[in-house]
Amino acid sequence: MAKKQSPDIFQSLRKDAFEALEEASDFESVKKIETDYTGKSGRLTKVLRSLKDLPPPERKTMGSTANALKKEIEEKIRAKKAEFETKDHARPNGRRIDISAPGKKFLKGHLHPLSRVIRDVSSVFESMGFEIVEGPEVETEHYNFDTLNIPKNHPARDMWNTFWLDSKLLLRTHTSPNQMRYMEKNQPPFRIIVPGRCFRYEATDTTHEIQFYQAEGLMIGEKTSLANLKGVMEVFFQKFFKDKNLETRFRPGYFPFVEPGIEVDVKFKGNWLEIAGAGMIHPQVIKNAKLNPSEWQGFAFGMGLDRLAMLKYKIDDIRLFYSGDLRFINQF
Amino acid sequence: MIFSYNWLQSFFEKKIPAPEKIAEVLTMRSFEVKGLKNISLPSGSEDTVLDIDVLPNRTHDCFSHFGVAKEISALFNIPLKPEEKTKFETVKAKAEDFLKLEVREPELCRRYIAGIILGVKVGPSPKWLEERLISVGQKPINNIVDAANYVMFDLGQPLHAFDIDKIKPVHIIVRRAVKGEKITTLDNKEFILDKDVLVIADSRDPLAIAGIKGGKKAEIDKKTANIILESANFDSVNIRLTSQKLGLKTGASVGFENEISPVLALKAIERLTSLICEIAGGKRVAERIDFYSKKIRTPKISFKASDVSKLIGETVPEKEISAILNRLGFEVKKAKGIFIATGPGERLDLVLKEDIIEEIARLYGYQKISSRIPEGILTPAQRNDNFFYENMARDSLVNAGFSEVYNYSFSPTGEIGVENPIAIDKKYLRMNLWNGLIINAAQNLKYFDEIRIFEIGKVFGRVGETVIEKNKLAGIVVLEKTKEKEQFHEIKGLLETLFMQLGINDFWLDDTPTSEGPETLVKIRVGQEIIGHVYHHNVFELDLEKLIELATEEIEYRPVSKYPAVIRDIAVLVPFETKMTNVTDIIENTGGELLIDSDLFDVYESEELGESRKSLAFHLIFQSPVKTLSDKEVNALMERIIKAVESVEDWEVRK
Repeated sequence: MAKKQSPDIFQSLRKDAFEALEEASDFESVKKIETDYTGKSGRLTKVLRSLKDLPPPERKTMGSTANALKKEIEEKIRAKKAEFETKDHARPNGRRIDISAPGKKFLKGHLHPLSRVIRDVSSVFESMGFEIVEGPEVETEHYNFDTLNIPKNHPARDMWNTFWLDSKLLLRTHTSPNQMRYMEKNQPPFRIIVPGRCFRYEATDTTHEIQFYQAEGLMIGEKTSLANLKGVMEVFFQKFFKDKNLETRFRPGYFPFVEPGIEVDVKFKGNWLEIAGAGMIHPQVIKNAKLNPSEWQGFAFGMGLDRLAMLKYKIDDIRLFYSGDLRFINQF
Repeated sequence: MIFSYNWLQSFFEKKIPAPEKIAEVLTMRSFEVKGLKNISLPSGSEDTVLDIDVLPNRTHDCFSHFGVAKEISALFNIPLKPEEKTKFETVKAKAEDFLKLEVREPELCRRYIAGIILGVKVGPSPKWLEERLISVGQKPINNIVDAANYVMFDLGQPLHAFDIDKIKPVHIIVRRAVKGEKITTLDNKEFILDKDVLVIADSRDPLAIAGIKGGKKAEIDKKTANIILESANFDSVNIRLTSQKLGLKTGASVGFENEISPVLALKAIERLTSLICEIAGGKRVAERIDFYSKKIRTPKISFKASDVSKLIGETVPEKEISAILNRLGFEVKKAKGIFIATGPGERLDLVLKEDIIEEIARLYGYQKISSRIPEGILTPAQRNDNFFYENMARDSLVNAGFSEVYNYSFSPTGEIGVENPIAIDKKYLRMNLWNGLIINAAQNLKYFDEIRIFEIGKVFGRVGETVIEKNKLAGIVVLEKTKEKEQFHEIKGLLETLFMQLGINDFWLDDTPTSEGPETLVKIRVGQEIIGHVYHHNVFELDLEKLIELATEEIEYRPVSKYPAVIRDIAVLVPFETKMTNVTDIIENTGGELLIDSDLFDVYESEELGESRKSLAFHLIFQSPVKTLSDKEVNALMERIIKAVESVEDWEVRK
């Protein structure tokens, strides 16, 4: 015969549990109370288990009282837990976390700033329908100069100080040879952008290097005009520098492979900076590519990517790009 | 080139705009003005000099104050003042009576005008003339030399004066030098000439290196009384080559290199004669000798107004087209909608209608041409796979903690030599990337404990006579001394990640020694093809072109098994030199399809294992796509694996 359970036991259980919960000062002590009352061998659980030995009518009334009390205590525990959880939201093991301490470092490499610029430039032009094309760094005089209307022994060649190789070849002084290489193999209309490394034989300083990157653009169609060149240049610089109000201006320039020849300036902080050379492709160059200049016309432009990177990231010395210095690279 | 504002003003009756305004408009419509400077002259007067970057196609007519004055006249629509009537005393005679001219090389000298002035008095120049020269950075010498110099800066035609009394007989020959022939120039330097050098000579000696520098022999000095003036036109290419070969660059050589028009010669000698008579006295011999072999054609170009709008994308009113060309000194006729522009004789740059359109567009103003986005694109740009996969490789390495460097394409050793190297350590084109990375790593170790860097770039070699250019990817890992052994495994892990991202499966490392190199040279293979190497166990270099050929974006989904996987561990004791892949091969071949993965999780070497033995521990993962595997089934498989492993001599499964 089971011990007779008086309703008083519920009263005192309720009182003890609620008092304990009231006094509980943190999450951990609430958890302890939970174990003490409603846990596997908690006081209330024990009482509930003993009810099965009572005669059925008594079991029924006692049972419903006990279950109601259990519900009530559980509810209170849940509320208490929630209270402490919001108070010390991140407190596993009861210890407070110093969220001002630095985060865990993950190993992260850095892309070279010129790789970034090549990508940015290429993606803006790709979005305007320009195909990315590449070409060799070792070039022939034929493609680097002759077909671009830059005759041998002409003072215009002084614009390109050249590294000559031991085999009558040279290191390309600009990406322009790819105009001809592409035109020879493809039928217009087309638009291409050619990013790549170029070389000039010259003394180095903060703005000059013996190697540098250029992006050459070429667009040929039946009606491709100087006004189109202006449109494309404006959109490009605005997108590249993420400034919708960036001003661009055209002024006369000279490159033997274009006519008219243009210098493109962009306005930064009130100053006009020379940033690209451009123009309408010279009819002789179109003829050299075995195309008919009365059928096809177009524009070409070339810009220094090192210079774009220097402006974009406020780099003051071009030589840093080729220094291999991680104190520089790691900033990108 | 430096230009004097006051000098430019002297071509106009009307006042020209202030220097700042001229600089601004010239920059936007003609040539960039790089600087303005106010200067004080010895007499106390003031001037402003403009540093103008004349474009290379206009140096032939604008390396002179007259040339720039013409631009100013066209840009501001201010007329040039009419040329002053020349006044001088004349001796009724012919220059031919005094000298014999013989041009033996008409190809190299297309015009030679010789004039004679008798009875000059050599002395200092008047103040105004000296100051003109000082303003453009020249040093006054004497009235004859200064006058020639002045006319060159004024009109752009180089000129020369000889003392006629020092030439006997008076015979001027324009010929090629004889090999070994010598000349002492005005600045007392001796040059040894050859047949490619054009000289002005008398019957015995060279008197000048044609178009470049005068000689000592017929120099103008204080006693000079009678002079020959030379105003000629020499072949630009020959002048350029001679100037380069002799290392002698002068105002005259630059002028001729720019291929000035032969029409200038006449205008210049008239101006010079008049000036000398004015400042040095003397009488002009009335008739000059003018050798002019091949007369140039005056530019004459026809075009339609629609040609202009088609090229520039903006309609310029026909009236404005005519007005612009008139201001530039063209004579314009229009018939049946076709313009015919006949240009000033000195504008040798104008040949095609595009040349004329440029003149119209720049004077009309590029800023007035409204920009237009090219018409719609129907097909997106073709993707460049090289560029795409190269960037994918880049991202893969950066995400794995490697930073990207760019090195020079030059190196102290290589197969392709540079004819004109800029430094001794840059005499060749680089043959590989990894040598550069080793240097980068060493330099960066001053500031960092661990180095992980890579480079993508071209390397150069030779196959037979052909220069080969290849795109490579190289990387290096340098860790602290205590972790040195991990370097190789980092490289391997990096390659695994890279190959996985590029969708290349059958990649493996091969250290079988070959004649190519020692065991430290590990070959990186995909299938049987070698696509790169690992050097010194911490640097690798891959052939990026081959890698990109193998790359693919194809991914095939395999259904995930609904049934649980069972994991068992196995540790195998093997001789030290046994390769891990030999062990996994046996395990995987024996495990069959139900063994879905074997994962090496520990390599243990210790003395307690005995001499030169190591323990390799694997997690073996069993899973069936069709049912839950029972313990019994897995145990049976494990038994078979253990038996297979132990059947190898010297291998033992640790229990």
